[in-house]
Formats: sequence, structure tokens, C-alpha cells
Amino acid sequence: MFNNFQRYLLLSITFFLAVSLSFESLAHGVDEATRAFLLNNTGVQLMPFLYIGAKHMITGYDHLLFLVAVIFFLYKSRDVLLYVSMFTLGHSLTLLIGVLGNIEVNAYLIDAIIGLSVVYKGFDNLGGFKHFLVKPPNPKLAVLIFGLFHGFGLASKLQELQLAQDGLLANLIAFNIGVELGQFTALAFILIIINYWRKHSSFKRFAIATNSILMSAGFILIGYQLTGYAIN
Amino acid sequence: MSKQQQPNTPPVITLSKKSLFKYTLMSIVFAIFILLTIVLPAEYNIDPTGFGEKLGLTVFNNSTNTSTTTPSSQEASPTSLTKSDEGTNKANTVINVTVPAGRGIEYKFTMEQYQKLSYQWHTDGSALYFDLHGEPKGDTTGYFESYAIATLQSMEGSFTTPFAGVHGWYWKNTSDKPVEVQLTVKGEYSKHALK
Repeated sequence: MFNNFQRYLLLSITFFLAVSLSFESLAHGVDEATRAFLLNNTGVQLMPFLYIGAKHMITGYDHLLFLVAVIFFLYKSRDVLLYVSMFTLGHSLTLLIGVLGNIEVNAYLIDAIIGLSVVYKGFDNLGGFKHFLVKPPNPKLAVLIFGLFHGFGLASKLQELQLAQDGLLANLIAFNIGVELGQFTALAFILIIINYWRKHSSFKRFAIATNSILMSAGFILIGYQLTGYAIN
Repeated sequence: MSKQQQPNTPPVITLSKKSLFKYTLMSIVFAIFILLTIVLPAEYNIDPTGFGEKLGLTVFNNSTNTSTTTPSSQEASPTSLTKSDEGTNKANTVINVTVPAGRGIEYKFTMEQYQKLSYQWHTDGSALYFDLHGEPKGDTTGYFESYAIATLQSMEGSFTTPFAGVHGWYWKNTSDKPVEVQLTVKGEYSKHALK
């Protein structure tokens, strides 16, 4: 019906429309109301932080794109669980270390690396590394390492809020649990859709186009964040 | 979760080096296209192609184009705004902010050059250290000009902006109780927000 190139174009156009129609509604980060709440409230605030963490993950398209890329070719539940655990381990570790250790990382650069993680996984799914390396990098280790960078990204979002020291650890853990709940929810939806899609022949036919688009999305994130870094 | 997929062995993409190169290149070209036409115009007002402006995406960073909606005010403005009054908030706008214990907050107004803001503010009791200052638009060096610095319980006055940018207060609460500030302003500005 379509050749791969036509499929690529078709998906590109869909993606283009999606981005142009909904760019603002996808605005990432922390909104004004949340910021005002946090400025005016100190001490332990478990539920609000749980919510902020979950919302950040569910609306965090950079994390979700990476998750989609990671589980794209994972057919066994065991593998999904294993890879997602590596990702969770990675980002939880640096989220806690980053905030508690007060490690200042540049949010633009970290978000650019998160974009790179999407490019990496898309390229990996396309079988790209088979051409350039004798032995492809250990995919589980790669997910863990990129997870570490995603965690610094989460930490930088929290640090932007200039959290009070009062109740910081409890709030941070609540945020982290919220992130995992959000990830779990998002993952459930992604798995339902992808498992349904896999039963159709279009999954195989669109596999190359989808991973190319994932790479594109990663490059867009890199360009967006590096431009932000350059002008700020 | 995906147990029923077992007979369906995972497909593996095998591309020739040439097609891999083609798809990678295409994904970069497409990314650059989206960046130049949509993302950069909308996010940073960088619009090399002019396409972002045609789509109406450059409005987010262009405060002069923002329509002036009169913020919720306690006194209703009786006269309708005439053309020359655009950007002027004739009515008093009352803003309540809380400065948390041991913290500082910034409340800023986005204003063009030579615009005037009259203000009056008072706290619910204790005096606060403040720095009324302006930061030029697009400045990356962290430069700011202070118009007034003191520790007061209330203050009244006005200022005319020496440059376009964000202008307003930094209040610092050194006590261990939150302090309420009621700020009443009247003047020319396009936006106001807690920073």
C-alpha cells in the first residue's frame, strides 16, 4: 500500500499537525498556580507533592517519548518490567541526590541530554548501532544511564521552585512516588495502545517510520533546549 | 501484560547502511524544519522563516501585542478604553501576596519604556525589606536597576520605567511568620505575575 518513505511522510505530517495544534497545551514544566502554591506553603505537603510528581510525568512528553522508544520492541512483560525498573532506579537516584545534595545542573543542558536519550533509543530501534559498533552497547545499562539524566531533569524542575528546607525530604519522596505513579499510569496507556497496535500488520510496516519520528522528536527537544541555553 | 504476544516474535528492523543514513538524515531535516517554523518562534520569538508569525505563534513573547485585559479590580472602570489608552489599566488593581516565613518573593509587571505605574502597598503588620527594581527585556547578564530599597511596613509612590522589561518588588521576610502584602497599582503594564 505504502512504501516506507511514504509512511514516513504520512507520520511526519501527522506529527507536524499535532505539534502545531497543541504546542502550548503541552507546555511542560511547572505552571503558575503550582508555583504560587509552593511559594505560599512550607513544611510537609505530601499529597500536593505526590500530585505534582504524577502530573509532571504524565504531561512530561520527553520522559514519555523515551519510555515509548524503550518498550517499542519489548514483547515480554518481564522485559518491560526490567527495563522500566532500570529507568526508575536511574531517575530516582539522581532526583534524590540532585535535590538533597543541592547539585545545580543546567536545566537546558539536562533537557537536551534527555532529548538525546530519545534519539539514541530511536536509532537503536532502527538497528543503527549494528552498523557502527562491533558490539552494541548494553541496552539495559544504556536505559539506566539515561535514567540518571532524566532524574537530574526532574531534580532541576524541583529546584526551580526553590523549595523550603522545612520538610524537604518527605516532600521529595512524595514527589518521587508521584513520578512513579504517573509513570505507571502513562505506561499502562502506552502498553494498551502498543499491544493493540502490534496485532495489526501496520505495526511492522510503520516500525521504521515511527522510530524515525521518535528520533526527530528527540532532535527537536535537543534543538529547543540548546537554543534556550544559548539565549539565556 | 503482553503474554498473548508470545507467538508473535518481535520484529527487528534491519536496514542497510544507506537507508539508515537516509532515515537519520530525514529525521534531522524534519526536526530542523519543526524547530525553525514552530518551536523557536513560539518559545523564544526566534522566527528566521517568518512562518511562525504567519501562524500567529510569536505572540507568547511579544508583550506589546498582548491584549490588555483589565485584571480583576475592586473599582470598576466606568469609561471604555480609547485607542490611546491601550495598555493602561485605569482602575486600581489590588493584588494580595503572601511572603512566606524566611523567604523572599518577586512580583513583577511587564512594561514598555517610559510607562508609569502608581502604587501603594502595605503589609499586615510587620515591616519587610524590599527592593523595587527593573530588569531590562532580553537581558542575560542579570543586570537590574533599583528604584528604592528600604525596610518598611507600607509605601506609596510611582515610577516611570527607564527601559522596557519587568519592573516590580522583591520582598524579603526574615521573620518566622508569613507576611501578607496588599499591593494596589494603577498604570501602564501588559502583564503582572509572581516571579
